[in-house]
Amino acid sequence: MTETVAPPQPKVVEPGQPQKGWAGQNVPRKEDKRLVQGEGVFFDDIKRHEMGYVHFVRSPYAHARIKSVDVSKALDVPGVYGTLTGDEVAILTDPFFELSVPPGAHMKDYALAVGKARFAGEPVAAVVASSRELARDASELVEVEYEPLEPLVDARVAQEGDAPILHDEAGSNVVWDGTFDWGDYDAAAAEADHVVKIKELHFDRFSSTPLECSGCLIEYNKGTGQWTMYCNHQMPGVGAIWMAPALRVGLDKLRFVTQDIGGAFGNKICLHPYFVACCLLARKLNRAVQWTEWRTDQHTANAHGNERWFQDIEVPVKADGTMLGFKVRATDDCGAFPRYEPLGCIIWAQVTPGCYRWRNIRVDFTQVTTNKSPVSPNRGYSRMQHLWLTERIIDIVASELGLDPVEVRKRNYVKHDEFPYETPNGCIYDSGDYARCLDIALELIDYPSIEQKRRDAESRGRLLGVGIGSTLDSGTNNFGQSMILNPDLQFSGNNEVATVKLDIFGEIVVTLGTVPQGQGHETTASQVVADILGCSPDDINVRPGHDSYWNSHAGFSGTYASQFAVTGLGAVKGAADMLAGEMKKLASVVLGCSADDIELAEGQARMKANPEAALPFMALGAILNANNAGLPEDLGVTLNCRYVYRPPFEKPDLERKYGNLTLTYATQIHAAVVEVDPDTGVYEIVDYAAVDDCGKRIHPQIVEGQVHGATAQALGAATHETFPYDADGNLLTPNFYDYHVPHALDMPPMKNGFIESESPFTPLGAKGMGEGGGAGIHAICAALQDALRARGKPVVTDSCNPYHRVWALLQEPEASRAGVEVVSR
Amino acid sequence: MLLREVEYARPASVRDAVRLLSEHDGARALAGGQTLINVMKSRAASPDVLVDLQDLAELKAIDLAADGTLTVGSMVTYTELVESVEARARPILGDVCATIADVQVRNRGTIGGNVCSNDPTNHLPPLMVALGATMTIVGTDGERDVPAEDFFIGVYMTAAGAGELVTKIVIPAGKGDGFAAVTIGKDGTCIVSAAASLDGGAPRIAIGCVDAVPVRVEVSSTAADAVREAVRAANLDPPGDVHASSGYRRHLAEVLAARAVEQAEQRRN
Amino acid sequence: MEAGTAEVVRSKTVSVTVNGTTYEREVDARRLLIHFLRDDLDLTGSHVGCDTGNCGACSVILDGTLIKSCMMLAVQADGATIETVEGLAEGEELTELQKSFSAHHALQCGYCTPGMLMSATALLRSNAHPTEAEIRKAIQGNICRCTGYVNIVEAIKSVGETS
Ligand SMILES: Cc1cc2nc3c(=O)[nH]c(=O)nc-3n(C[C@H](O)[C@H](O)[C@H](O)COP(=O)(O)OP(=O)(O)OC[C@H]3O[C@@H](n4cnc5c(N)ncnc54)[C@H](O)[C@@H]3O)c2cc1C
Ligand code: FES
Ligand code: FES
Repeated sequence: MTETVAPPQPKVVEPGQPQKGWAGQNVPRKEDKRLVQGEGVFFDDIKRHEMGYVHFVRSPYAHARIKSVDVSKALDVPGVYGTLTGDEVAILTDPFFELSVPPGAHMKDYALAVGKARFAGEPVAAVVASSRELARDASELVEVEYEPLEPLVDARVAQEGDAPILHDEAGSNVVWDGTFDWGDYDAAAAEADHVVKIKELHFDRFSSTPLECSGCLIEYNKGTGQWTMYCNHQMPGVGAIWMAPALRVGLDKLRFVTQDIGGAFGNKICLHPYFVACCLLARKLNRAVQWTEWRTDQHTANAHGNERWFQDIEVPVKADGTMLGFKVRATDDCGAFPRYEPLGCIIWAQVTPGCYRWRNIRVDFTQVTTNKSPVSPNRGYSRMQHLWLTERIIDIVASELGLDPVEVRKRNYVKHDEFPYETPNGCIYDSGDYARCLDIALELIDYPSIEQKRRDAESRGRLLGVGIGSTLDSGTNNFGQSMILNPDLQFSGNNEVATVKLDIFGEIVVTLGTVPQGQGHETTASQVVADILGCSPDDINVRPGHDSYWNSHAGFSGTYASQFAVTGLGAVKGAADMLAGEMKKLASVVLGCSADDIELAEGQARMKANPEAALPFMALGAILNANNAGLPEDLGVTLNCRYVYRPPFEKPDLERKYGNLTLTYATQIHAAVVEVDPDTGVYEIVDYAAVDDCGKRIHPQIVEGQVHGATAQALGAATHETFPYDADGNLLTPNFYDYHVPHALDMPPMKNGFIESESPFTPLGAKGMGEGGGAGIHAICAALQDALRARGKPVVTDSCNPYHRVWALLQEPEASRAGVEVVSR
Repeated sequence: MLLREVEYARPASVRDAVRLLSEHDGARALAGGQTLINVMKSRAASPDVLVDLQDLAELKAIDLAADGTLTVGSMVTYTELVESVEARARPILGDVCATIADVQVRNRGTIGGNVCSNDPTNHLPPLMVALGATMTIVGTDGERDVPAEDFFIGVYMTAAGAGELVTKIVIPAGKGDGFAAVTIGKDGTCIVSAAASLDGGAPRIAIGCVDAVPVRVEVSSTAADAVREAVRAANLDPPGDVHASSGYRRHLAEVLAARAVEQAEQRRN
Repeated sequence: MEAGTAEVVRSKTVSVTVNGTTYEREVDARRLLIHFLRDDLDLTGSHVGCDTGNCGACSVILDGTLIKSCMMLAVQADGATIETVEGLAEGEELTELQKSFSAHHALQCGYCTPGMLMSATALLRSNAHPTEAEIRKAIQGNICRCTGYVNIVEAIKSVGETS
């Protein structure tokens, strides 16, 4: 049973404090041996006899009516096995179900464009051929007649009367809209000494662009009507819920298999349109088909992170720097199809006040479609955008009112003795110590020396700035939050499954419901099991990857949203505890004692009082599985234990949009120092610190690795990574030349610190982590604003600041300042 | 990925290479492939025949004459230039090549391919113009020498026409050179680049990424203000794109030209 | 000098020696070396992470030189000796670098790892004791989206320090 009672004071573990058992240690990763030898199995490594290669014909237009599709010339090419068109898809499948209420509910989304193309790169037809090259050759022979339509590329004008409408069935570009109103904003504004107004802030589109693109090898079993998909889908549970009804089959007809996945970061959640097209082709051609997405396809037509505009922000502030909340109008751009959306319209509410004690918050939230790539839950999903807003608010207010950015944060942070802290919308921040984390980060960058360094930089003609990013990494979703968007949705709570069994020769075999993509689940699961069964992680065999035919699959199975350490390991712990109980029981029967007299240690079940009386695991496995005559009839031992971990959640109050939306809140507080060349706008990150608190760290090295990776992605997003479109709806950064991700020379030296505030709500005291809250983006924006202060005090209004934006801020600081106003009493 | 069908030949002599290039319409020389293969992957262009130059040892030599004149075969890779003792005679060459992309690209990419592709963002076209290099072009009609200033004709277009090969690049002696660029990330693609050389008397400045070809700027003094003024007077009208507006490029051209000249002065002394 | 005239071919039988094994295969002129290695020879350790030569996931050592195998045709490699990640370990015995990658947690998803190991191997052959700056320069052509390079740099550095 999970205890939900919080200790009055969360336990804080000091760095370097010794930990007991395998959990907490940096054991070597089980995954590494195969991966360093190139012996991992990624989907594209798998081949089948006479398999066909799929190539998609993609729309060159961002918005166009499809007048005709003629595949005859492609079919004439020797070596072409077959094709698929939107018309066929419209007959053979139903549209994917939509999560939204109307208008979003009326948007029709199919595996291929039906009737209309809504973003450049959208698949319009597919060709299968005997080689990759030939499939592409033939796809060029597919003749599509388009009638180009005016594209919509700016979410801010999506609701204007003359804006082109993407989904005629919906009659509007709005997917979902609603108002969130907690506390009493108007009273707060009346009470405030100042109200700081910010006209507009813009969070750029980008994505974590996993190094491995998406894809699948799909086999259709004609006899059973089942599809097997060797793939890199990161959330098969939800993938199947989309795909099965569209294909008009039961869930059991879809088998997802993964082994190694080359990163996912949320970008491999919305693969169902591609997979359905491939399923149809595998069935139609009665042949295994493989689809490999290339990088340009990935950038143009897979999944971006949500772009968001924040407008008419108002922040009531007391004279002492206490902020009372804020109000904002948010417009979220989800691209051409909602897919996982409109969940992003609520996910941000997990961190409504950010790290702060703000009690009065009003958010008018609208999500619209545009003629751009659809979005998907990119690492930090929806909270990152919102946390960027909270951090921008802090730094803009501080700058306008002449407050110290460190002092103002500390004044407004939730204090360490206030946990568990209930936010104005009913979320429970489980534990933490934000001010401590900030102090450590500042120490790491030697904050007291900053003014001296600033003068040094000045003497070299450089502008130095320092910035902070404080974020929460909320983990373990209560899917009940989806009901706030659509009360008819039958989703709430969360679950994850693991099985642990003891086999004939004493093998301990663990299967997970999760779908790891580099997070080391095989390793951490083995640590948890080893601690419970009293053996070494080396003795534990954790099956790599995921197979939805294993009996370790549940509705929310997957790897997403910072939750493995809670849900995945919670399930592993539950199953291992069950198995331990059964092993003791079996041993007690064999040894003729009570189960309480048995302990598991050193790979044996033995009597506590007489360790000589011991049964090796192998004996237990063999007795139960192969030599069980004479065992009591009512033994009730299977040595094959399945546990479903279910976090303790209630359904939210839909009327008030109120309730606990996530179980844990890890913290990341970063500090960055930048130097700007005022003649060019070029800047360099010269010092960087990231401090992390994710409760108990099962494998500190893996946690640090996640911090490094999330930071690198945030720094990329802060400096170069953005997906801008031209007026015709063409993506301007479709490859790694123009979409510049950090390389080894781009990364600053990184300093790391941590504390461990254990979560009182989770089985192991651990918190989900890994997404990070985009702290690097917030810190760089703040540092740039600080560096440029001496040059007319420009305001950083965009999340991504390549050199040209910095130069523009230097050129015209007034332009950015025009949107900021302070009204004082 | 996934190129169109193409034919391939691997000649053993320059003469045969020229024959192949001139006999087949749509034939292209394949040097390091670090541009051409990419172009073919995207199917932006699809040559019919690729003439692989890798076996042409005659194009791989680096010679340093007694007067300091450096002759670099077109198939010399960036890595070979960086590591070459002879090439240290004009240090800027190796220094700039060492910042092109990454080890793998430098191991394959060639000086000839770099100038022949004449991508406006490439490092070497402005540098060759500033250094006063001369390209030797061989065709069925024989050999001719074209100064760098006249070699670059348009985006992806040079004086080496269909059926022709650049065999070598001759670089006069000197050391007062500078190169400055703003790139997308470290060792990244140039947003604007500027090369300068002071060895021929008045500064020779060439600016990259602001036009289809490197733009020469005339100036009589090395003073930063004078250089910036000269660049301003050149009335550049650079393209704007996702990395830089036209105005930002124009501004960078000024700043970088001055920095290149400043570096050239330091290196000269 | 008359060196004869080369033939123009649409496909060709190539002979390459990969990790000590010589393979002869007929291959289309248009096929990239990476596809030849992965699809024709079933050496799937080298990966594809981009379509523009930026990521280095396909890096192999060809005749002693580190290259990106997606930036070259298979026919160009005729006669070459190629080393890929599959050939690094001697049987079960991992190289110091492979061990160090694991010990330093220099890989998460492991997708960039084969290319990264080839770049690091090439570096250490020419420079047994690289500095951090030299290491970063040497792996500049290899994108990793998971690790932020911190532990990769550490892993390579530690091999250099202990060798
Ligand atoms: C990831 C990446 C990043 C890069 N970044 C940069 C950069 O920052 N700066 C930079 O300058 N370059 C950069 N490059 C390009 C690289 O420098 C190329 O090597 C160069 O542009 C072309 O040289 P190549 O030898 O590879 O030529 P190829 O690609 O083989 O050929 C290029 C063109 O030149 C023609 N050609 C080649 N040699 C001859 C010859 N001798 N005679 C006649 N025609 C010939 C070919 O027919 C072809 O049209 C980058 C490349 C990559 C893959
Ligand atoms: S796949 Fe070769 S560089 Fe990316
Ligand atoms: S470990 Fe995943 S890309 Fe490097």
